[in-house]
Amino acid sequence: MAARGHVQDPNDRRLRPIYDYLDNGNNKMAIQQADKLLKKHKDLHCAKVLKAIGLQRTGKQDEAFSLAQEVATLEPTDDNSLQALTILYREMHRPELVTKLYEAAVKKVPLSEEYHSHLFMAYARVGEYKKMQQAGMALYKTVPKNPYYFWSVMSLVMQAISAQDEKLAQTMFLPLAERMVEKMVKEEKIEAEAEVQLYFMILERLGKYVEALDMVRGPLGEKLTSELQSRENKCMMMYQRLQLWPECNALSYKLLLKNPDEWQFYLSYFDSLFHLMDKSWSPPNEEEHCVEGPVHTTVAEAVKFVVDRMEEEDKKDSRPLRGPYMACLELIHRLRQRGCPDEEELGDPLELMLQFFGKFGDKPCCITDLKIYLHLLPPEQHTQFENRLGELVPLGEVGEDGFGFPGDTKALQRHLCVCQLSRVLGLQHTLDTEGKLCLITELKAHYHYGLQFGKSCLKTELQFSDTYCLMVAHVYIDLWTETGDENMLWQCLGVLEEGLSYSPSNAQFKLLLLLLFCRLGAFQPVVDLYSSLDAKHVQHDTIGYLLTRYAGSLGQFAAASQSYNFSLRFFHSNQKDTSEYIIQAYKYGAFEKIPEFIAFRTRLNQSLHFAQVRTERMLLDLYTEADITSSLEESVKAMGLCPEEDDIPWDNMRDNRDLTVLFSWDPKDRELTEEHRRLSLEEESVWLKVRSLTLRLLASLALLGHAPSKRNSDKTNENGVSAKSSTLQTLLSQLDLTLQTAAQITEKQTQYPFLGPPSSRLASALSSGSCHCQASALQLSLTLQELETTGLDDSSELQTQICNSFKSLIVQLQELLSRCKGDVLEMKDSRLMTQPSLLETLVFFVEPVVLSGFQEWTGSLQGIVTQALDHVKGQEASLTALKLAALTLGVGHAQTQEECGFTRAAMDKVQTSYLGSLQELGDLLRKRADSLKSLKF
Amino acid sequence: MTTLRAFTCDDLFKFNNIQAFLNFLSQYGIPFYLQYLAHWPEYFIVAEAPGGELMGYIMGKAEGSVAREEWHGHVTALSVAPEFRRLGLAAKLMEMLEEISERKGGFFVDLFVRVSNQVAVNMYKQLGYSVYRTVIEYYSASNGEPDEDAYDMRKALSRDTERKSIIPIPHPVRPEDIE
Repeated sequence: MAARGHVQDPNDRRLRPIYDYLDNGNNKMAIQQADKLLKKHKDLHCAKVLKAIGLQRTGKQDEAFSLAQEVATLEPTDDNSLQALTILYREMHRPELVTKLYEAAVKKVPLSEEYHSHLFMAYARVGEYKKMQQAGMALYKTVPKNPYYFWSVMSLVMQAISAQDEKLAQTMFLPLAERMVEKMVKEEKIEAEAEVQLYFMILERLGKYVEALDMVRGPLGEKLTSELQSRENKCMMMYQRLQLWPECNALSYKLLLKNPDEWQFYLSYFDSLFHLMDKSWSPPNEEEHCVEGPVHTTVAEAVKFVVDRMEEEDKKDSRPLRGPYMACLELIHRLRQRGCPDEEELGDPLELMLQFFGKFGDKPCCITDLKIYLHLLPPEQHTQFENRLGELVPLGEVGEDGFGFPGDTKALQRHLCVCQLSRVLGLQHTLDTEGKLCLITELKAHYHYGLQFGKSCLKTELQFSDTYCLMVAHVYIDLWTETGDENMLWQCLGVLEEGLSYSPSNAQFKLLLLLLFCRLGAFQPVVDLYSSLDAKHVQHDTIGYLLTRYAGSLGQFAAASQSYNFSLRFFHSNQKDTSEYIIQAYKYGAFEKIPEFIAFRTRLNQSLHFAQVRTERMLLDLYTEADITSSLEESVKAMGLCPEEDDIPWDNMRDNRDLTVLFSWDPKDRELTEEHRRLSLEEESVWLKVRSLTLRLLASLALLGHAPSKRNSDKTNENGVSAKSSTLQTLLSQLDLTLQTAAQITEKQTQYPFLGPPSSRLASALSSGSCHCQASALQLSLTLQELETTGLDDSSELQTQICNSFKSLIVQLQELLSRCKGDVLEMKDSRLMTQPSLLETLVFFVEPVVLSGFQEWTGSLQGIVTQALDHVKGQEASLTALKLAALTLGVGHAQTQEECGFTRAAMDKVQTSYLGSLQELGDLLRKRADSLKSLKF
Repeated sequence: MTTLRAFTCDDLFKFNNIQAFLNFLSQYGIPFYLQYLAHWPEYFIVAEAPGGELMGYIMGKAEGSVAREEWHGHVTALSVAPEFRRLGLAAKLMEMLEEISERKGGFFVDLFVRVSNQVAVNMYKQLGYSVYRTVIEYYSASNGEPDEDAYDMRKALSRDTERKSIIPIPHPVRPEDIE
């Protein structure tokens, strides 16, 4: 842990055993050893700090802190103490104390390079940019090494970036940073590439693009060697900023000649070409076109350029590059956008795409490539295109079942590509039910046939024919959503389960299964699926919503709690991780990465999902534990909840969800749009607001509930109480407003694509009456509170009001409960039917009951809870009695024995999961009922 | 056709886009990536398709003593999404890493690969790499599988004119004996 190189120092020798104990996690022995040592050597400060580390690690934070402060106030200057304190403060999450430590050390030992540099890094850890700037300079003055100087410059840049006032950044921090670098340039002291990079960063941020360009092209630019094409890329960026289109065009052209597969340069080549055409730019006479070389200014030149590139590829013996062929389609797309007739010179898009398919159809990415340009084909050509593609797929002879199959994986890939294109073109969607069922039969046959090519695949590899299976599932989903026939859904689950049995690491199978089980309200199988995806770090943010959206809402509280914890652990570690690497970036001069790391940290801190899991985690604890294992007040205090504080960044919320993680071949008009994304974020944010206000209201109630007991003994507390109840009042009216907004949003009844974001819980929370129930219960609590302050004597009006509120709340709860009635799972005419919304409503019923329990009004509430329990018990009984084995599967649509087995397995999972949810809900209600009984009014 | 560019933190949010391959980037934790970005940003390159999908990435570093002629480029991770395989992308990314190492004056480029991963071993051989030595139980066991040996494969760069750096060591070594 600490530097222990010098064995000569007797203190080092004495301390070593303590270090060893700490390193091995033997904190108790470390503490004992430290005590022993301190008896003999009272002034061995480091031993005290090491003891404090031991205490900290055994949960004795307070003791550890005061011991550490004893040493810190002495302002130690020995390495051991300083390093040990640094470690301790970091573990205490008090990095700001490290700065104090080294400030003192630097004062006492002003010539120490090491302490100055520690001080700089300590400031960096807490983001004290101004002090970093000064510390960097002080360091440079002590030891004139270039990196120190530029640490200081970078700290100025960081002050500019973090400045609230952009003007201050532009007129003070950045110009100062620029002057500091210029000074070094003039004195010819620039040494490292990092310094040039930083200079470029400053000029760029100042908008001094001409200067930046000159610098990159000049002698300083010669230092830019680490990154490939660093100078070219920077020049290109500046040309674009400065709208120097001739240079931009010529450079793109030059780079494309060198590497005709670099997509970004085709884009800049076309961009600049059309800008030049719009401006009717012509090259100056008898001179070189521009510093970068020849410039293209006409469509004819561009066409020739692209055609030449394609011909080059055609001539090659080696593998052709896709770039030139894609560029050709891109050029047609752009010409068409401009209404330019010259596109014909490049050829018919249909023929070009066929040609592309001929060359690259056996690559899995062919579909991704062609998808971008399908709009170039008029709808009346779609079927023709599909047929012509089909001709290019070598299939074997048609067998008994009427299908011909590919002979190898290349042919399979081609066939698969045609199927995918057909779906993207919407040709599958227009089939009627019969047609879709036929398509399913065909795709399944191909799927099963193709499995032979992957017999030797490892478990971690995908089967070549997996995509057929996924597509079958998609067609089943089409059928389910169009006809409402749940059998389609069961078969869809079956086919995916089958797919997974052959290809256990196919993430798309897992994701789709996960989504379908969630839609079915069966959360149990989802837990295993999600954990087998092995989601790590950022994925907890990007795809965590798939899990957390449904966990709590389906009554699987234990699983919900676990899934929130997974996500939260990641978000909390982010803070520490990033500061460490910001410091490293200074050390290695990766200045560009510093703002990037900070932006990364911010993006995670402002994540919608982070705010959601934070809020839901606490609500879940209150709903499931408060007043059962501990009082509401204790729970609130343990969470450190402060009702006055709103820690959610409403105005800067980042939606990091990956809403296209499920692969889709839906045609453009069915794809997820930007508007969908906006609406989904809006909906989720309002729901989050409802939840976070509910949470803060609960907290405020709990803390308020505590106050009155002290009222008689301490008169002054009354002000405190009224302040708190006004918080309550404010929050309640905010909740009211939010619920109004919520109602407007749900009126829109936004439907997202099936594979897109799930709807939030907002709509069902409102329609079930749960939100209003909660709001009434909270309002009632507030009135009760008023009653307590007013006293029973002068409050007959209040009492009547309360009485009425009681009654109406009971009615509301009764209504909510009646919406839960019905069978979640039912067998009818040998069909299995589900009503997962009943489960969700039941959860919505349980939540306000918790609140109501808090209010200690028992009689009628007990009645309702008992009713609810009876209902849950009844459901459990009928679920257990359902014998799924009695279902005859495969009626109406041929399924093999094996396929039926997979479908049956999926059905069993759903049944078991429903039972699990009911049991958890029943348990919670029972506990609630018990605690109600034990309450004395 | 590909856009090759420096890897940025925001790319971490995009790695799910890769069809059927969720675990593309998840074998390491965030600190690991940040460490490489902070120390060797030029060695961390990502390939992007025209539709914005991430196709693959390479991640490497420069290390070793110059005096002992061991200064070299190291391939830490190379990954291409299944959807974008068989396009020569891995070769292109390797070429870039070699070029960066050339410029840094490295003597060779090296990498470790599972002995069982024949596909990868063959690919590296095609790209001019040869087995320099075997490292015993370099990959620790997971999921009940036993520990696995690694090949340390090398390719000499132009600075190593006599190609001394790639002369194979006949005896296998232990992980603790390598730098």
